[in-house]
Amino acid sequence: MAAVATGRWLRFRCKLCLTLTGQPAGPYGQAPSCRFYSGSATIPKVEGTNVTGIEEVVIPKKKTWDKVAVLQALASTVNRDATAAPYAFQDDPFLIPTSSVESRSFLLAKKSGENAAKFIINSHPKYFQKDIAEPHIPCLMPEYFEPQIEDISEAALRERIELKKVKASVDMFDQLLQAGTAISLETSNSLLDLLCYYGDKEPSTDYHFQQSEKSEELEEATEENNKKSEKTDHQFGVTWRTKNNAERIFALMPEKNSHSYCTMIRGMVKHRAPARALNLYTELLNNRLHADVYTFNALIEARALSVSEKLEDKWNNILELLKQMAAQKVKPNLQTFNTILKWLRRFHVFGKLPALQTFREMKAIGIEPSLATYHYIIQLFYHQENPSKGSSLIIYDIMNELTGQKFSPKDPDDDMFFQSAMKACSFLRDLELAYQVHGLLNTGDNWKFIGPDHRRNFYYSKFFSLVCLMEQIDVTLKWYKDLIPSVFFPRSQTLIDLLQALDVANRLEVIPQIWKDSKEYGHTFHNVLKEEILMLMARDKHSPELQVAFADCAADIKSTYESQDGRQTAPEWPANSLNYVAVLFLRAGRTQEAWEMLGLFKKHNKIPGNELLNEFMDSAKASNSPAQAIEIVKLASAFSLPICEGLTQRVMADFAINQEQKEALENLTSLTSDSDSDSDSDINEGK
Amino acid sequence: MAAPVCCQGLGSRVLSWSQELLCSWCTLHTSAVCAKNRAARVRVGKGDKLVTYEEAHVPHYIAHRKGWLSRHTGNLDGENHAAEPTVEDVFLGKFMLGTFPRCPADQLILNRRANQLEICALVLRQLPAHKFHFLVGYSETLLSHFYKCPGPHLDKSPSLIF
Repeated sequence: MAAVATGRWLRFRCKLCLTLTGQPAGPYGQAPSCRFYSGSATIPKVEGTNVTGIEEVVIPKKKTWDKVAVLQALASTVNRDATAAPYAFQDDPFLIPTSSVESRSFLLAKKSGENAAKFIINSHPKYFQKDIAEPHIPCLMPEYFEPQIEDISEAALRERIELKKVKASVDMFDQLLQAGTAISLETSNSLLDLLCYYGDKEPSTDYHFQQSEKSEELEEATEENNKKSEKTDHQFGVTWRTKNNAERIFALMPEKNSHSYCTMIRGMVKHRAPARALNLYTELLNNRLHADVYTFNALIEARALSVSEKLEDKWNNILELLKQMAAQKVKPNLQTFNTILKWLRRFHVFGKLPALQTFREMKAIGIEPSLATYHYIIQLFYHQENPSKGSSLIIYDIMNELTGQKFSPKDPDDDMFFQSAMKACSFLRDLELAYQVHGLLNTGDNWKFIGPDHRRNFYYSKFFSLVCLMEQIDVTLKWYKDLIPSVFFPRSQTLIDLLQALDVANRLEVIPQIWKDSKEYGHTFHNVLKEEILMLMARDKHSPELQVAFADCAADIKSTYESQDGRQTAPEWPANSLNYVAVLFLRAGRTQEAWEMLGLFKKHNKIPGNELLNEFMDSAKASNSPAQAIEIVKLASAFSLPICEGLTQRVMADFAINQEQKEALENLTSLTSDSDSDSDSDINEGK
Repeated sequence: MAAPVCCQGLGSRVLSWSQELLCSWCTLHTSAVCAKNRAARVRVGKGDKLVTYEEAHVPHYIAHRKGWLSRHTGNLDGENHAAEPTVEDVFLGKFMLGTFPRCPADQLILNRRANQLEICALVLRQLPAHKFHFLVGYSETLLSHFYKCPGPHLDKSPSLIF
């Protein structure tokens, strides 16, 4: 079929070039000017004959390609490089961040640099006027923040409203009223919009940096990540003063339409004055005006915010609002259902059934649920972390429905979904589900919904902890290489989880590598982590090469302790760590350093463990030096350890010591036994 | 051009005489002599002078042992705006020297691709890292607004100094 089609096409082309060159001969006659090889010479040239089997050639519709389509196609062939730092940072070892705190501070520094540049550009616009860009790039020109129109007129008022200058526009409005000019309804409405949006305050200049978390209860994170405090509604307080400018202007307006009422209601709800909003709504109804869907969303929120009612009453009120909405023929949108679900979370157990009803209603109307919807549902069903009550299986249904879908942002809370989903997975200890969630994250553009830094860190910490817990060690190590440090910086708890996984799988030889990595991620001075590492290394005896590696690692850790001591006035070197380090030195054959460790015991006033002393005795025997053995006994007696007796006996039995040493030993033992008996008698007396 | 020189040498009487004779009066601006065999060369001293690779090689080694500091298509046949990138280069050099105090270790390397500008600078680690990021963000935004091109991209390679 294709050959026929090409044949026809070739014939067509033949005709064309023959006409161009002016030769009147038939298509297959003289064709020296046709440069292509006509392989269809056998096809009959009469068009009229119906050759069976020829289908109609359907010319496909012309595709319009995006301007960056080629770039997007190329980009899809490249995966994330697991060894590189995120693109936002300069690619240099000095400038790549090594912990999450640093990465946040670097990104903030870069952003503040850009803001400083913008500030300079906007304060001296005359130096940046030269426009050499062809075509004109408007975003690279300086912006004007000062109002240009100086006289008192409605145009000036509109300009100030556009420039978002709250106080200036209110002043202009008052001046206009005093001058007696009538202000049109649209301008008054837009002024009301401005006032209600900003709550009668100026828009703050560092709005972007200080966007506080909304009234969500956030996860209690571990020590490095507890930046956010738990905020509830009531902490915001009422920021809507009565008789503020918005209400005053509202009262002064000669005519109000539904837009004015709606704006006022939404402003009141945004700034936490729900009762007044409900009053205004009744006024709206009395004036026989209609509210739009956004106002109804705000009213639902107002109903849910009112503190004094019981839960069932609240729910009934909300249902009544919905009925009024249907009566006014206002179609609900996604925000309506999301608002209902958001406030149903407060109802805890009572809210489960209404939540499912709401969700089904949403599906029935045909509104596509967004990620925020699922987030609220997950939070509602998995709120209490109490496994004895039996957990619901709704998350499996949710994930089955969501697999493979690509989302676009529709709700401000969309980026909370992955965090709560992973939290539920780790609560349920289900690795397959976690992989499903992670797969959803990597579908299409869904990675954009991972949220800001701390949420991403939380998600990946939980994910990796789950992997450490449940997955085989090789796969875990692969994930470790993949995720750390290019995606997130591990907290110490994550590293401890990884160490425990290594312990379970008996792969302790990876530990020196983990210690090296932890130093890079800023955990050098983290005592719990260091103790865990030392404990795992020192617990059992291993092969000689491994012991050497462990001893190097221990020496490294020791040096970090020492540099820590140098910094702080009160050196804290835990007794366990001293024990472990000494043991590791001994086992690797670094006896000189091990003896130095014993000296450190005295210096820091910590007591060496019994096994440690036994090991020292063993090594002294191996090196066959009685002087060392006596040193050990002296040390034990200095600490008044009960093991001193046993040690002395051992020394006497195993070593060849001369007379004075024997006497010294006996003195020591008598001293200790005296003190022992004294202390015993004291204790007895005390009892 | 020789005539006025002679006039300058002679007395004023001769000057006025030549004014009547000549119709045009071209002025001559003289400056200090810049000999070509002393251009861009660091003179050899006792051997304690630290020089960079750039400074150590004289201009006739360009394209043999040295590269170019600024690459743009303005000097190709048929292209316009040959001089503007040069002026911009001087400005950018001074700008980077001022914005990153004590940091630039060597001359800047500037690449222009389409309408984008890439600045590669070798800097010393004199500033803490977050200050570097601040200054990088600041200079990128400021230069993109100044030259109306979408992304002066700064590539830095901080280096140690011996």
